[in-house]
Amino acid sequence: MAISISNTQELAIPEKLKNCDWDTKEKLIADINEWKKKFTSVRELVTSNDGEKIATAVRNQDKRFTTCVNGESWEETFERIYSLKFNPDNQLISLVFRDYEWAVAVDHEIWEEKFDYLWNLTLSPDGKSIAVNTRTGEMTSGVCLNGKPWENTFPEVRDLTISPDGKRTACHVQIKKRADLDIHAFMEGIWTVAVDGNPWEKSFLTVWGAVFSDDSQHVASVAMTDMSKYTIDVDGTPWDNVFGAAWEPIFKPGGSDVIAPVQTPQGWTIALNGKPIWNNFSQVWRQIYSTDGQKLAAVVAVDVGKWTLAVDGTPWNTVFNQMVLTPVFSPDGKKIAVVVKNNNKWTIAVDGNPWYESFDNIWDPVFSPAGDNVAAKAEKNGKYVIVVDGKIGKKGYDSLWNPVFSPDGSKLLIRCIDHDKYYRRVIPLNEI
Amino acid sequence: MAVKNAVKSAVKEKVISKDFKEYIRDVNPDVGLDETIKRLTPEKIEKTIKAVIGGRSSRIKAVMNTCIHCGLCAEACQWYLSNDKDPTYAPVAKMRMTIWEMIKRNGKVDAEFIKQCARIVFTECNICHRCSMYCPYGLDITFIIGMVRRICFLLGVIPQRQLDQAQAHIVTLNQVWLSQNDWLDVLQWQEEEVGADFKDLRVPIDRDGAEVMWLPLGAEPKTGTYHIERTAKIMYAAGVNWTLPSKDVWDSSSMSMFVRDFVTMQRIVRGLYDNAARLRIKKMVLTE
Repeated sequence: MAISISNTQELAIPEKLKNCDWDTKEKLIADINEWKKKFTSVRELVTSNDGEKIATAVRNQDKRFTTCVNGESWEETFERIYSLKFNPDNQLISLVFRDYEWAVAVDHEIWEEKFDYLWNLTLSPDGKSIAVNTRTGEMTSGVCLNGKPWENTFPEVRDLTISPDGKRTACHVQIKKRADLDIHAFMEGIWTVAVDGNPWEKSFLTVWGAVFSDDSQHVASVAMTDMSKYTIDVDGTPWDNVFGAAWEPIFKPGGSDVIAPVQTPQGWTIALNGKPIWNNFSQVWRQIYSTDGQKLAAVVAVDVGKWTLAVDGTPWNTVFNQMVLTPVFSPDGKKIAVVVKNNNKWTIAVDGNPWYESFDNIWDPVFSPAGDNVAAKAEKNGKYVIVVDGKIGKKGYDSLWNPVFSPDGSKLLIRCIDHDKYYRRVIPLNEI
Repeated sequence: MAVKNAVKSAVKEKVISKDFKEYIRDVNPDVGLDETIKRLTPEKIEKTIKAVIGGRSSRIKAVMNTCIHCGLCAEACQWYLSNDKDPTYAPVAKMRMTIWEMIKRNGKVDAEFIKQCARIVFTECNICHRCSMYCPYGLDITFIIGMVRRICFLLGVIPQRQLDQAQAHIVTLNQVWLSQNDWLDVLQWQEEEVGADFKDLRVPIDRDGAEVMWLPLGAEPKTGTYHIERTAKIMYAAGVNWTLPSKDVWDSSSMSMFVRDFVTMQRIVRGLYDNAARLRIKKMVLTE
């Protein structure tokens, strides 16, 4: 069986990357083939951001699981291990199950708190806080943040979002039990958002897309208020306006203003605090602000099957007939890049200009710190390649993770599998 | 015995439509129809009908003004054929007894009428589209039935099981109210079950760049868990690099489509594609 990987949450912390080894051109970190000989099962591989570590869950001859990091396995064994990911300090975080109890493991430390089930393992943007959804023995659900469970639990919770400062969590929660086939319970509106375990006073038919503001003080979510009415609820207060449909909101950076795509009788647009601010399109979604909040971009359909990106309400001239994924702004907000699919071929478009080369698959664009270069992992003719500004790298790999720019933007860190061996390579941009 | 007799007599009891005397049916209690109409008001009904029908789009006008009531559509309908060619089961009759009457009365119909509409469009039509094939003008009768279903959905008047599944999709984006923890737990449990017999047989979750993402029907992880085990064996034997998504949406069914809940329909399809895009899989394989 070929090697398979997991592309986990990327936590590129500039300060951490400064301390990476940007001088050694190549390091052989692990021979995965040796792992395959040693263990009866080698699961999806994950790597640390600095590329120095590679890990996975492995199954021993006794059919029990442990973690293996750079070839070193942990003596502790479990019935299940899932959701592995590295934090920016290169600690391996995972969910482990033993003797009918789940816990979070941070490297070789296991949280004291145990639960009937854990899922949605989530790290804060700085990687310092760990949150996870919990299921208790009393068949209720909640959240555990850094080892501290919510005081309130609920018949059911769905999804988990963690605040930018890593101190708060929010979920979509069911506030009242519902019997099987009880069609009336739904009509009462028994779903809302709970922040730090405290549900909003107002409840709805359903809610989804909860998100925190930059300062971690506010939460917004889509709320279904009637069978055909949707709005955005901010800190428990719905917008004055309701719409035929709404997509997930985001906060404007540096404040409490909320924007969300909404459907009006004239079409889809972007609403700011409930008021439409863009012209109408056939569809609008995947909106994103530049870091400074000065520019707002969203994926729009200018007509059926004609997808593109609109920046501050103005669509690009180029349209794509299949998909436009979530855009990425350059750090200075001056450029924007996005993965597009047209006529069954994938590529990246930067500021409206698609790269000449197309691919069987391509991953999200990564900007250099100064915003002058764009790199991405792509798949072409059965091999994985690094692409920089549309130019395909010389070497093809068996597996790759997303490339990482050096702080000065002159080099790329390549985390790759080549003939079953995991290498950490540092390559100058002009040698890709 | 008393209960048995009560059930027997209830089954024999007939209900005759006050609007269409020829529409006679067995009494068939259903809280999704009987209880939900108690919430309706004449104003709400009228407003909802007008919101759905709007300015009577050209599509509705085309059907209404072109239909010559020839009845050829009847021969296409399994409900008509399997009920001794009772004309009240003919597709044209279903339109006449529902949306045409709503339009004729300018939306001023009562709750009992809505209940009767719901019974007709949800339990006496499978929206199979055969009637449109038989119509000499190719009129889209199913579209009209769908509009009536949407009116009933917006009013919350739908047979209990269908309404329950539609609500499940709204809340959980799967038709069986499966919690996120149960979805993942079932996948992990099935991997353990099947993995005991094979070396490295997987039920892989969130594998990046897999060739195939399998999207089951909601019932499979809920009541047909062996389907997951069997799918895993097929993928293993075929050497397919496959995966399942950890996040919503994973249920490839859409009860929302059958009640014309347009927003949830979009959420479902968008969620499936979002998962495909997130994991950069190449093909989606759906159960059906």
